[in-house]
Amino acid sequence: MTDVQLRTRRRQRLEELGAASIRALSGERDLHFRGHRLHRGREALPWWAPHLHPDADEDDLEAFRGAADGLALRLARSDAALHRRLAPADAVQRAFFDLLEQFRAESLVPEGMPGVRRNLHKRHADWSLAAYHAGYTDSSAGLLVYTVAQVCRARVTGEPVVEETEDLLEATRAALAPALGTALAGLRRERHDQAAYAVHACAIARHVAALLAAEGAASGTPRPADLSERDAARSVFGLIVEDEGDTEGREAVVTGGHARVLEAGATPYRVFTDAYDRLAPATAPARRGELEALRDRLDRLVAAEGVNLPRLVRELQAALAVPRVDGWEGGREEGRIDGRRLAQLVASPAERRLFRAERVEPHADAAVTFLVDCSGSMKAHAETLAVLLDVLARALEQAGAACEVLGFTTGAWSGGRAQRDWLRAGRPPQPGRLNEALHIVFKDAATPWRRARTALAALLKADLFREGIDGEAVDWAAARLGVRDEARKLLLVVSDGAPMDTATALANDPQYLDRHLRDVVARHEVRGAVAIQGVGVGLDLSPWYRRSHVLDLGGAIGHAMFREVLRLIARG
Amino acid sequence: MSDLAALRPERAVGVRETFGIDSDLVVPAFAERDDHVPEVDAAYRFNADVTLAILAGFARDRSVMVQGLHGTGKSTHVEQVAARLNWPCIRVNLDGHISRLDLVGKDAVVLREGRQVTEFQEGIVPWALQRPVALVFDEYDAGRPDVMFVIQRVLERDGRFTLLDQNRVLTPHPWFRLFATANTVGLGNLNGLYHGAQRLNHAQIDRWNIVATLNYLHPQEEAAIVLARVPALADATLAATPGTRLVDAMVAVAGLTRNGFAAGDLSTLMSPRTVISWAENVEIFRDPALAFRLAFANKCDDAERPVVAEYFQRCFDRELDAAGAAH
Repeated sequence: MTDVQLRTRRRQRLEELGAASIRALSGERDLHFRGHRLHRGREALPWWAPHLHPDADEDDLEAFRGAADGLALRLARSDAALHRRLAPADAVQRAFFDLLEQFRAESLVPEGMPGVRRNLHKRHADWSLAAYHAGYTDSSAGLLVYTVAQVCRARVTGEPVVEETEDLLEATRAALAPALGTALAGLRRERHDQAAYAVHACAIARHVAALLAAEGAASGTPRPADLSERDAARSVFGLIVEDEGDTEGREAVVTGGHARVLEAGATPYRVFTDAYDRLAPATAPARRGELEALRDRLDRLVAAEGVNLPRLVRELQAALAVPRVDGWEGGREEGRIDGRRLAQLVASPAERRLFRAERVEPHADAAVTFLVDCSGSMKAHAETLAVLLDVLARALEQAGAACEVLGFTTGAWSGGRAQRDWLRAGRPPQPGRLNEALHIVFKDAATPWRRARTALAALLKADLFREGIDGEAVDWAAARLGVRDEARKLLLVVSDGAPMDTATALANDPQYLDRHLRDVVARHEVRGAVAIQGVGVGLDLSPWYRRSHVLDLGGAIGHAMFREVLRLIARG
Repeated sequence: MSDLAALRPERAVGVRETFGIDSDLVVPAFAERDDHVPEVDAAYRFNADVTLAILAGFARDRSVMVQGLHGTGKSTHVEQVAARLNWPCIRVNLDGHISRLDLVGKDAVVLREGRQVTEFQEGIVPWALQRPVALVFDEYDAGRPDVMFVIQRVLERDGRFTLLDQNRVLTPHPWFRLFATANTVGLGNLNGLYHGAQRLNHAQIDRWNIVATLNYLHPQEEAAIVLARVPALADATLAATPGTRLVDAMVAVAGLTRNGFAAGDLSTLMSPRTVISWAENVEIFRDPALAFRLAFANKCDDAERPVVAEYFQRCFDRELDAAGAAH
């Protein structure tokens, strides 16, 4: 596994634990991390304060704990609507106001949770020291912001300021004291009353923002008039918090931007032409002999893995099966009298096995679909993926669950015939999706694994892998699942990146397909008939999928990887 | 008929003095303790709403169903109220195999003067019906819904009970009372927690006059219950961190597991009963973390343990186990 993948997985694990803690502490259910930001449902929660956003590369579990506790208390102890109403209009003032409200929430640790208090304290100290050592307090504006943060938090929570920088604060603190004395005293006193506290917080924010503005005027850095909330927080705390902009570049996270066309609201997602779209069984585009050769190769690969299939089947059964009454079991020594055996009683009075009882059998009432992204970059993982899916399809079938293996790609590179049509039509603006979508059925639920063997081998066919139009494919796979009778329907989308189609991206805008994928996934998540999970191949898919998991296909397969997939199936 | 049937409640008991609940209600009580009266548990703490509901059942002849998650002490609640009123009380645990014959009665072969004769033997329902007894159906929703129709008539006001096998009609004893406890409200096993719970017939649910809900208590109340049960827990040397009470941290962990369960992060949760057994384990092992692992963490799925360890860290400011720090 590459270094980047390792970091991505570690971060995802930390965020999952953090999100679980936040849900438990705040009592809100619909919270999760998406692209490293906490979301409630589909809506991203505000940025709030700089120390709530630790960096997975430098910070450890403790930092994530502190951040999670801070977020949870903010959710539990602060009324967001009231906060919005009381917030000052000016962006810089609002940034301070936000921070002070965060301190208030952090001072209200519930009874019996000393660990939370310590995590919060530790997080604050670490964040402060990181800022200090990075030299942000060297400028006078930085020192001012830093001092206000330290002094206010110490006042509200009643904890001492960070010892190492205490001397540093002295001068600024003394200068602030006359103007802010009353407000600072009020912070601690009113910390149980959000509205009363806000009055003092506003006063402090106003005063500090004025000082900062004077500072800015002196150093000659003009402030842009319309800052977004996050930018304002950055412009204030940018002095003391590392800009996230460059960390996103380093990590294997694809951050979706805003799609211009869809944002405008006028044009919904559309397809320029579906004349060339195809739905094909995997065997169709291949020569007969070719697939058999590939199957041969796949068989050798599977054999080399030495997977313990019965064990996998057992575990799948445990994860999926529910007990169901299924007929009767005769010949028992207790239960209900079995009428057919009475004659036997007459013939042999000593016979005691005359009873029957209802038989309860585990029954896997579930359908699992694997939707594989067959875009060019997935070619590198084709072998591992083929082995994984081949074994899982077989195991699921033996466990009694229905299983489909589907794939999506495009019929051509760079738009193919659809793009030629568009050019011929005189390049009308915003044509929508512009390629030949190709949906492939490697194995459908009705085909047993034995008969789908050859088709599954097509996963190894390198020339299938072209571009990827994810949104429509997810819709298609979910619709196929939707008409099935099973009680549990699970769709696992295996992908290694954002939807990518060059022609569509050029003709519309780069985020067009990306946005559609989000919409489709969100729609299915809300509807809830099909449980969708993103399986990222070394990549965090959380920007699109509410539930996602990072899988490492780089190394050996082994039972550990099956267990990971199994856990995904179990929780779906 | 035995002496039991002749008993009458002769005393009146004030709710405020007996149960510590702020109410002027006065309920009838028996003067002498029959063998069927449960033992009084002096440490038991009553939940005001549920106790009033149960008392209304005793005083005004209402059928009361207590619904709530497991381990909240539903059956014990009814029992303890009965114990303080000296009211004879019979608990019947329902399960999927209780049949109509068990409840109503059946013909059985008995020895009479050295000869075998077939004789009708009353089931628990007709027996209790003719005596001043509180009949408690535990796990009411585990009973088969078709069988539960046996008590349909009894649930009605002045409901007489017809013994078909005997051509007899029984009139309920004036001090006969009927209670039930259930984990669900008759909608079946919705969250996967109560395997075996049946969907009940709503015509029947409708006949219960009072449905009281007993869910998890306020942390302070729960802490008081745990302390009353395991007084050794107040020992200051056991405290999670100086200046806090161990029991608060324990109840806080339990609260987090309940939230975690509601959010789908855990597939089990800590009931008050689990907290008490944890407290008892603490008494034995003198180590809250070890006791917690034995009482709860080991009941959780492997995949859920890191989350449980996080909850534990929040409330105890220490890792659940050394390996837990290595995520």
